[in-house]
Amino acid sequence: MTEDAEAKLQAIFRAALELPPHANVTRAGQREVASWDSLAHAMLMLAIESEFGVAIDAADQIRLTSYPAIRDYLEERVARGAVP
Amino acid sequence: MNFLEARRVLDAFRGGEALSFALGLSGTGEPFEVYLRAAAAKRGRAAEVRFLPFNTLAQALRQPPDPAVVEVFLLLPWDFVPEADWRSGVAPTVDERQLRSQGMETAGLLTRRPAARLLYLPAPMPPLCREPAGGAALARWIESLAIGLGARLLPAEAFTLGSYFSSGCPIGGAWIGRVAEAVVEAVVERPGEPKKVLITDLDNVVWNGLLVDDGLDGIAFEPTGRGYRHFVYQSLLRRLRGEGTLLAAVSRNDHDVVAAPFRSGRMVLREEDFVAIIGSYHAKSAQIRELARQLNLGLDACVFVDDNPVELAEVSLQLPEVRCLAFPAHDDELPGFLDSLATLFAHHDITAEDRERTEMYRRRLAGMVPSDFEGADLTRFLEDLKMTLTIHDRSRGDWTRAVQLINKTNQFNLNGRRVTEAEVGAMLDAGGRLFGAALADRTGDQGEILACLVAPDGTMQSFVMSCRVFQRRVEYAFLAWLAAQPSPPTALQWASTSRNAPFQRFLAEIAGPLDGNGLVRLDAAAVAARHASDLALFAVSDPALSR
Repeated sequence: MTEDAEAKLQAIFRAALELPPHANVTRAGQREVASWDSLAHAMLMLAIESEFGVAIDAADQIRLTSYPAIRDYLEERVARGAVP
Repeated sequence: MNFLEARRVLDAFRGGEALSFALGLSGTGEPFEVYLRAAAAKRGRAAEVRFLPFNTLAQALRQPPDPAVVEVFLLLPWDFVPEADWRSGVAPTVDERQLRSQGMETAGLLTRRPAARLLYLPAPMPPLCREPAGGAALARWIESLAIGLGARLLPAEAFTLGSYFSSGCPIGGAWIGRVAEAVVEAVVERPGEPKKVLITDLDNVVWNGLLVDDGLDGIAFEPTGRGYRHFVYQSLLRRLRGEGTLLAAVSRNDHDVVAAPFRSGRMVLREEDFVAIIGSYHAKSAQIRELARQLNLGLDACVFVDDNPVELAEVSLQLPEVRCLAFPAHDDELPGFLDSLATLFAHHDITAEDRERTEMYRRRLAGMVPSDFEGADLTRFLEDLKMTLTIHDRSRGDWTRAVQLINKTNQFNLNGRRVTEAEVGAMLDAGGRLFGAALADRTGDQGEILACLVAPDGTMQSFVMSCRVFQRRVEYAFLAWLAAQPSPPTALQWASTSRNAPFQRFLAEIAGPLDGNGLVRLDAAAVAARHASDLALFAVSDPALSR
């Protein structure tokens, strides 16, 4: 993942989960972040779709519950050429 | 508007006048909030949104509306036909009549909320009907119903199943910002202000039948039999015109042809009741845009009535400000339709100026230079139709429909020549070729709409296309396809008739200026190259030819 894409992903996390501007989100997981409820998760998924131009399957949406998992998922989509 | 942009807009927004509304949809609305607030902020307004709880839209529609609350409903097919909801799986059996009855019930509930702002997302539906054509017809019927209620049409791609399955939000991330902007636009539009211009289609709307094919004596508009619905519609238009509403007609025909019934003295409406009767082969959105410009009235003052869902969708997508209404397909839908029209054009006080308005605007238009209605960008609309062109070699087997088309088509007709099955058989036996083409799109199956007969010497003897599919670029696509085949036609047997002006324009475009009747040479390679982009608008299949 490029630096720009990684920075964008982190910005999405902070905004969607209402975290402070400089919070380190690179190890964030749904269990640890109190604001990461089901609504925030839906917003996070839509925000990622919106910013990265991907459509995320329901099964993937349910398992993408941490920053590393989402980062890996996007990297894999990039490798498959699915991210513009 | 993407997520981060929406956040930036909100971070920079310093507040403004409140914009309060309730958003109802069959699904989760909350993920919209940030986008709705941002869309409102871009207009200097502070959105205060109340969402209906998940899956309570059907119940909410059965409650009386609160006049103090602006309601916006983002409708999906399953709001009309609950069995179409993906989250319920595929119903084991369905009764299509019952499905439509449910759709009518929802439509009836929505008509009781005339102040509500409606948006319709024609999301794909699971295969409910045993026949795929039945499912497509049902989808088209629901879309017509929604448009008939005055709903703004959203692009089908805005729906994503992944998001709908996982969170209940039917809109995917790629579209959620744009849909939010459409919602806010619907909220801020001026409600209740009477419309000023009623623009109506003619065939199967003002009268029953197709004027060009059925002739003046074959169309019906009198208070008897199949003409009744159209007689009642005309009588309402006459009343509205007397109250100051401007009437205009748009039709894919020549002006003199469509003006004839109004000049016959047999109809309720006369030519002088209209500020303009436009006969043109351009997209109806282009005709309406030009008319509004010449009248110097906003598009939001216009209401468009048509019976064809594709025409309604084209205008709705190209001119979202125009209120589009579907002319009813059945008598029992007529009262609701007329009620909607009367409401849109309600005038409380009628002045002498109102009564003279038509004449005033007729004088205004008479002094203007006619426009060529150029500038409508149809490409995006046509791409969105997801058209499939299926080309059949009718040289062997059943050529009934192709011959029927050749013998009944008047406008898009190479030479007006009628043929017998014996003549066609003899030509094919001698090495000629007969092609038919069927068109389908996301709204349904249009059937076999084109026929082309090529003589053994490579001269095209007949080339006809149904006027139902004008403006789809089908004729260009088909010719580009044919020109790229082995042994393409080398010439066309052209003859001008009193009705085939549309073909004349087409021919001049593909073969250059015409010099009277007779053989027109065809540069197949040039046609194939020049119209490759038209062909690219279609998924082309030619099953019979590939065998």
